[in-house]
Amino acid sequence: MVYGAAPEAQPRRIEITAKRFSFDPGELTLKRGEPVVLVLKSVDVAHGLRFRELGVDVKVGKGAESEVEFTPGKTGDFVGHCSVFCGGGHGSMKLTLHVVE
Amino acid sequence: MTPRRAIVVVAAAAILALAGCKATPPSAFETWVVTAAKHHVFVGNRSQQNPFPATPEVIAEGKEAFSHYCVACHGLDGQNTGVPFVGHISPPIPSLASPDVQRYADGQLKWVIDNGIWPSGMPGSKGTLSDEEIWTIVAFLRHLPPAGSQGEPEMYPH
Repeated sequence: MVYGAAPEAQPRRIEITAKRFSFDPGELTLKRGEPVVLVLKSVDVAHGLRFRELGVDVKVGKGAESEVEFTPGKTGDFVGHCSVFCGGGHGSMKLTLHVVE
Repeated sequence: MTPRRAIVVVAAAAILALAGCKATPPSAFETWVVTAAKHHVFVGNRSQQNPFPATPEVIAEGKEAFSHYCVACHGLDGQNTGVPFVGHISPPIPSLASPDVQRYADGQLKWVIDNGIWPSGMPGSKGTLSDEEIWTIVAFLRHLPPAGSQGEPEMYPH
């Protein structure tokens, strides 16, 4: 925080809970160009959330919380996957992100 | 009956006739029939292309994805190094560097990883690994490290 500077709007924080083998919420809609902080919380083992096309990858330890700030640069639908192998349903653990104008 | 269906039926009958319950090594003839049947009849998806280029990053990702699950039977090098039961399973676990495996198209390798090969020990990994991970594994399979260069899977005492 820089004192005397004009207060800037904090990026919106979006909490996502990861548990074997799903994300909650399973779908998100964001605006292109609007910065957000994704807060990933694990309620069981280590997980991750990666949107390959958007260059976003956040990993979280067992029972922990971790965050990443990013600004969606393009519109469209993007499917994020768990990026830390977490067991038998790992490959089906997805979150769909809609980026709109 | 369509010609393709007829081929499937004939191939299935030939394989059933050759199938035994005893885990002895397959004969050269059995291996030839089954290999040809897999390549030309049973393993589909020949034309699908790998959406990822084989960059060093993608190959490294494939190696990582391979390390969770596949290494239990295929070893860290894809060539069975350090797999304790490799000499005691029939049909045998192939070296993934072998010509019989490498002759599959990329799409077929994806299909084999997705669906497995029944009734061999190869399980399907659809749902356990994501499509992205499986494609990176296909890239890794095309660039396997030298046999024995990666040590042995951690899961086995050594």
